[in-house]
Amino acid sequence: MSKTIIVGMADYKVDKAPDKLMTAGLGSCIGVCVYDSLSQIGGMAHIMLPNSLESLQGNPMKYADTCLAMMLEEMFRLGVIKSRLKAKMAGGAQMFSFGNKAPLLKIGERNAQSVEQELKKAGIPLLVHDVGGNFGRTITFDIQSGDLHVRTINHGEKVI
Amino acid sequence: MEISAIRLEALKEIGNIGSGHAATSLSKLLQARIDMSVPKVWLVPLEKLGEALGEYDTVQVALYLKVEGDAPGKAIFVLPIESARVIAQKLLSLPERPDIFSDEMAQSALQEVGNILVSSFIIALSKFSGVLLHPSIPAMAIDMVGAIIDGVLLEEGIIDDDVLIIDTKLSGVKEVEGKFFFIPSKGSLDKLLGVFGI
Repeated sequence: MSKTIIVGMADYKVDKAPDKLMTAGLGSCIGVCVYDSLSQIGGMAHIMLPNSLESLQGNPMKYADTCLAMMLEEMFRLGVIKSRLKAKMAGGAQMFSFGNKAPLLKIGERNAQSVEQELKKAGIPLLVHDVGGNFGRTITFDIQSGDLHVRTINHGEKVI
Repeated sequence: MEISAIRLEALKEIGNIGSGHAATSLSKLLQARIDMSVPKVWLVPLEKLGEALGEYDTVQVALYLKVEGDAPGKAIFVLPIESARVIAQKLLSLPERPDIFSDEMAQSALQEVGNILVSSFIIALSKFSGVLLHPSIPAMAIDMVGAIIDGVLLEEGIIDDDVLIIDTKLSGVKEVEGKFFFIPSKGSLDKLLGVFGI
């Protein structure tokens, strides 16, 4: 039977098909899914900040670089083949704006860039992404089909 | 981050004074009685934020103001969509509840509510602790709780593993309820608590 595993903030989960992975209410955070469709193993990470080098303190799963590295390590332990890995991501919004003042740090945008960079470094192709805007996203990843379902409140739903 | 019991108690008192003033302004604005709960002071680990603030997936209206000055922080008023609609309807004397997703007048009325609530909270805090504080203009989002939380918390690109939250529930008029949060920045505690000498 297929279960849906929930991934919390600053956390990741690795699982096998037919299970699904879900994370709710991504704002400027990024939900990134990495999967091997042949071995039917997939992982999802809920990343909060771009880079551990800028401010490494506390939970390493907050950061794009360290969280992704930890998740990949676990996936390799379960036997995924690196060359078969593919990735999808969503999130990275800019939730609030104060009048005309441009935000100091576009943290959502930087999160997305950082995840993209880390995937590139790891040699994992990013097939598709749904990032930016000023709205939240709840995502569900079907490890079996590789479909990433993105739900929003007032900006529709899609499968990427 | 660790906070001593006596500091938590003092923060609760600060929350009490600030939220009391905020509740009074809301009740003047709506010309109805507004009650407030005794504030909770939480030191919440990141992964437990959902439990503390409500399901990440539920849709709420958030009015967010930055508190600037000597003891900076963030103030957020979060309320269910229906509550926001009732408040906007009352303030604008509309025959029906407006659609807050599209009605700009309703949105700006709600932003004004955020402004007034947070301003009265801050003025009370300033008077009490002697630190100079002023609010930013309000920003608004109608979205999933999780997205609102991370939008607010991650703005500066850093976050501790635990977040200190002063949280008060406001309720009163039928169908109107909301939660008021104050999240002091890291260095602000000493200033806010200076008056207690702790």
